[in-house]
Amino acid sequence: MNIAFDPASAVMNLPRRDALDKLTGRTRYTVDAIGPDMLHAVIVRSTVASGRIVKLDLSKAQALKGVRAIATYSDAPWLHGIGIADQPLFAHEMIRHHGEPIAAIAADTEAIARAAAAFVEIEVEQVAPLLTMAEALEPSALLVHPRWKDYEVLFAGAPRGGNVAWEAHVNRGDTDSAFARPDVTIVEDCFRVSRQSHVPFEPRCAIASYEDGRYHIQCSTQVPWTVRNITAKVLGIAPSRVRVTVPAVGGGFGLKFDCTIEPVAAILARKTGRTVGLRNSREEEFLTCLCRENAEVQIRSAVTAEGEIVGREATVLMDCGAYGGEQIFLTTMTAHTLGGNYRLGSVKLNSRAVYTNTPPNGAFRACNGVYNTFFLERHTDNICAAIGMDPVAFRKLNVLGDGSLGATGQVFNGDVLKPMLERMEAFRAAVPDKRPAAGKRLYGRAATVGTWFVFVGPSSATVNLNIDGSATLVTSGVEIGQGTMVQAMPQIVSAVLGIDPANVIVKTADTDASGRDVGVGGGRTTVSVGSAAQMAAERVREQILEIASEILQTPPSKLVLAEGRVEIVGLPGSGMSLTEVIQHAESIHGPISGTGNFTGPGTPSLPGCAAGHFIDAIDIPVFAVHDCEVAIDPDTGHVEILSYKVVQDVGRALNPRAVRSQIQGGVTQGIGYALHEQITLGSNGNIEQSGFEQYLLPLADDVVPVEIVLHEGAPSIGPFGTKGAGDSRS
Amino acid sequence: MVLELIINGETRHLDIDPRAPLLDVLRGEFRLTGAKAVCGEGFCGACMVLVDGEAVPSCLRPVGLLEGSEIVTIEGLAPVEQPNAVQRALLEYDVVQCGMCFPGMVMTLTSFIDKNPSPSREEVKHALTGNICRCTGYERIVDAVMSLTENDEAATS
Amino acid sequence: MQADAAFSTMIYPRTIAEALDELAEEHAIAVAGSTWVLRAPLRHEPLAPRFVALNKLDGLRRFDVTTDAISIGAMVTHDRLAQDLPEFMCLEALRSAAERAANPGVRRIATIGGNIAAHDFSASDFAAALISLDATVEIAQRSGLRKMLVGDFLAQRKALERPWLVTAIVVPVDPLRASAHERLPMRHAGDYPSAILSASANRQGQWRIGVSAVEHQPKRWRALERALQRQNLAKAEDVARELAGAFSGLNLPGTPGWYRVSVLPVLVRRAVATIEARLAVMT
Repeated sequence: MNIAFDPASAVMNLPRRDALDKLTGRTRYTVDAIGPDMLHAVIVRSTVASGRIVKLDLSKAQALKGVRAIATYSDAPWLHGIGIADQPLFAHEMIRHHGEPIAAIAADTEAIARAAAAFVEIEVEQVAPLLTMAEALEPSALLVHPRWKDYEVLFAGAPRGGNVAWEAHVNRGDTDSAFARPDVTIVEDCFRVSRQSHVPFEPRCAIASYEDGRYHIQCSTQVPWTVRNITAKVLGIAPSRVRVTVPAVGGGFGLKFDCTIEPVAAILARKTGRTVGLRNSREEEFLTCLCRENAEVQIRSAVTAEGEIVGREATVLMDCGAYGGEQIFLTTMTAHTLGGNYRLGSVKLNSRAVYTNTPPNGAFRACNGVYNTFFLERHTDNICAAIGMDPVAFRKLNVLGDGSLGATGQVFNGDVLKPMLERMEAFRAAVPDKRPAAGKRLYGRAATVGTWFVFVGPSSATVNLNIDGSATLVTSGVEIGQGTMVQAMPQIVSAVLGIDPANVIVKTADTDASGRDVGVGGGRTTVSVGSAAQMAAERVREQILEIASEILQTPPSKLVLAEGRVEIVGLPGSGMSLTEVIQHAESIHGPISGTGNFTGPGTPSLPGCAAGHFIDAIDIPVFAVHDCEVAIDPDTGHVEILSYKVVQDVGRALNPRAVRSQIQGGVTQGIGYALHEQITLGSNGNIEQSGFEQYLLPLADDVVPVEIVLHEGAPSIGPFGTKGAGDSRS
Repeated sequence: MVLELIINGETRHLDIDPRAPLLDVLRGEFRLTGAKAVCGEGFCGACMVLVDGEAVPSCLRPVGLLEGSEIVTIEGLAPVEQPNAVQRALLEYDVVQCGMCFPGMVMTLTSFIDKNPSPSREEVKHALTGNICRCTGYERIVDAVMSLTENDEAATS
Repeated sequence: MQADAAFSTMIYPRTIAEALDELAEEHAIAVAGSTWVLRAPLRHEPLAPRFVALNKLDGLRRFDVTTDAISIGAMVTHDRLAQDLPEFMCLEALRSAAERAANPGVRRIATIGGNIAAHDFSASDFAAALISLDATVEIAQRSGLRKMLVGDFLAQRKALERPWLVTAIVVPVDPLRASAHERLPMRHAGDYPSAILSASANRQGQWRIGVSAVEHQPKRWRALERALQRQNLAKAEDVARELAGAFSGLNLPGTPGWYRVSVLPVLVRRAVATIEARLAVMT
């Protein structure tokens, strides 16, 4: 039954229901629940980057009073990974990176566990580590993964071998001919970026127990189902033997989009028969962070005098670290970011994920989209300088529009970027520039365009209608601070059911309660979890209307749900309260509930264009136009941000105030990435920044209020036309 | 060593190593987990408490130096379900995201506004040099605080 | 943690003599604001087995102002110093150091004595400021009270005969002197700066310059003091750049040594300009 209701009723600046507890210190994050009534676990980690373990003697550690169990590789002998199952939970025979877990100790207190860790005897026959991608790609380089051929892969066919973990290729059209044309200017650039660390204030942590023959892990994660699946994988058991629950999470930003320490706690819980709490210290968080990867690009473009990009070629090297992890998947995103934004006559892209003996990298808010956009936009400005064209004019001429072909040949819908650029132009023109504020310093200004996407994928939801007229939404969505679970989700369900959002109970994630969900990240929650929630709510709505229709003797199409009532259209007060309907329903049928699901529809690309890609074409692109003015002190190199403007493609903003918050926060992380935050690697393959003293996060003085225009109306399959805004970055 | 600590108006006795940081004692012994252990070095402000009316990082205060001092944590700053003016302003502006920095923010800002009823935006930002937020990008926090100042005609009561 | 009844991990001496006796024990350290000692775990050092708390010692919190000098007890915090320091032009470097170091919360607890006594602390704002003001530090030892110029103390503190305790810092007041303090954090504010420079001068061109954060130890920049006495101050940055090569920049993750050394002359230029302006308004 296709029952219409007004999607605009879902739009509101609903305040967060979890704010009061957070402001008064009452919220119990996982890290707060770790306490004296459980054992405490500490991970013993490698202090060298590469070598063969020749001795691992746990006897002295085991003998310490208060030590209850020690876990090692033999407790979890299976490999896991996102695209390639190349990673053991604990190092086995080989150490591949500084900080790699070798064992884990559960003891009565954290102090005892740490003391015991010092008694673990490890001897490693060190091997010279490969600390850079250049070293790893030397023909004579040792292999980080000598047995790479034996690894299970998600799908075959992508080039891989040696220290190249994965390659994704894009080949559309004939770039050779394009570059050979006599009427083109060729611009070549080479750029490099280093890592970025997320620094969520709540570290990775878990509390695990073994209950009725199943593992139960409460943890600070974005991906309860991934924790479930990977825990099962490394233990070699059925995933249904693992339950994951997730309360409020104190920040993630992508660090918690993978599973790292959680299975360790689970293993120790089973071995000891006790509940075990495990928490990364801040130093561990830094030293083993799944950083945004360091990367390099060589890019060149062939451009006509009129500004048409007839050919573009690029090779991107992405550092996986010791294990493939997220970078395997991210080789896919080069096509949609570095190969994005603009219409290209022909394009050839090569993205290589490279193994090195360094801590594995991972996903961080818009991942390689951030640096690829930097590479692309910097390159674009260089093109403009080479052909003598205004940077904004060039962009307006070339951005993707309705019917444009993307790098992999997907066809884009709607004119989004050009109108957004025009809005930015108007935005800029409406206020005087900040050049005077630069004084004697150097002044700079740039406008940039970015393409990211909403990471769609499976999500599941159930809505249970309660007899008091409230509804319970059950999903595996996690509230990590982005607001979706406490704002967009209740807004969607309340709009469909015509009840107050305060009467939508949102159940925290429990893999025993809701169906599979790929997790929170990639800006996907509103779209994916929201779509599933909308569907579930609509099924409930159908049932309500069907029953009400019988009672009111009015067809469902003439009924509307609003303010906790079922009303006949055009006759307010004529209907009945929702609670009456529910009571009637429950007496005849039983309680009312509905389920929903969602996954990416799959947008076609051109056959043959993309190889080794996990996503050939993006279902929901998200566009952004940014403008920034800076003043640079030529004496010290210090940069001051004078202004920052964003035009953000949101589809429909369900909670405009919350979206603006996300953008302000995302731009701030971008400011940190560009100006303050630096990760360097030491000669021991170690991340050198171990704390807040060395890793400089932006402070209040370092930011400016981001001026934001929310661009609505671009096509989107998200609920009510929404896209995602969690990955907003500068 | 048995120490006498006054926490949120209540005198508590504890047999504990006096070198232990107040933060660890609050979270571990008293299970007052509002103050968060984030950086351990006084940079992030997530562990701020009031000691004799001054906002200080509890990760750098050994309990052995705090006998006789009045310690107020986020839990004791205002009565249950009666948020103070700073908390109400932050609620009104819907600033909170992940929430981990906010107990410390509230402690710093409550003390700051108390002593500086009419700050400029600059002064508020400067007062937050020791309170880091990874989520919000700060500006809306400052907006909320400015709404409390005597300068703002629309200031809430 | 349960303490062993026979061995207290924190002691509260009531007199300097008692404090020195306690500090004579091998594993005891003096604890003032405790912001340095409690970060031992982050330095991968064990927590010192015994903390000798200074909070019960009389006189360490004094703040005496005369026309000749300010006597600041070792336990005076950054915050209190900034509040109580009289507005003498010559003391501006000290005020600046007290107001801008670290962050507001740390400034309420970190003390001037603890700051300059911390051995491995390279980026002390107070050290540079006190050097530039010819301040002396009063040190209590078993043989009695000893006074040393702050610069000398910093150079010699590791070799001082133990036990010793900083009890006060004395800053001369010179109405004919002006001072300035420059620090360059990597962000808009906060710690730690990549370079810190404090300077003072009178109209006779007698300069005192203290540098922190650029090397492992803060120190006095005598070569620049001599050079500025002879040179046209408009060339101060150039002069400083020529002499900056004498510094071996401290390489730390985040800020390389070459950067610290390269910005030092810029800080010189700024400090000199501020001091010239201050001297100009002095009657």
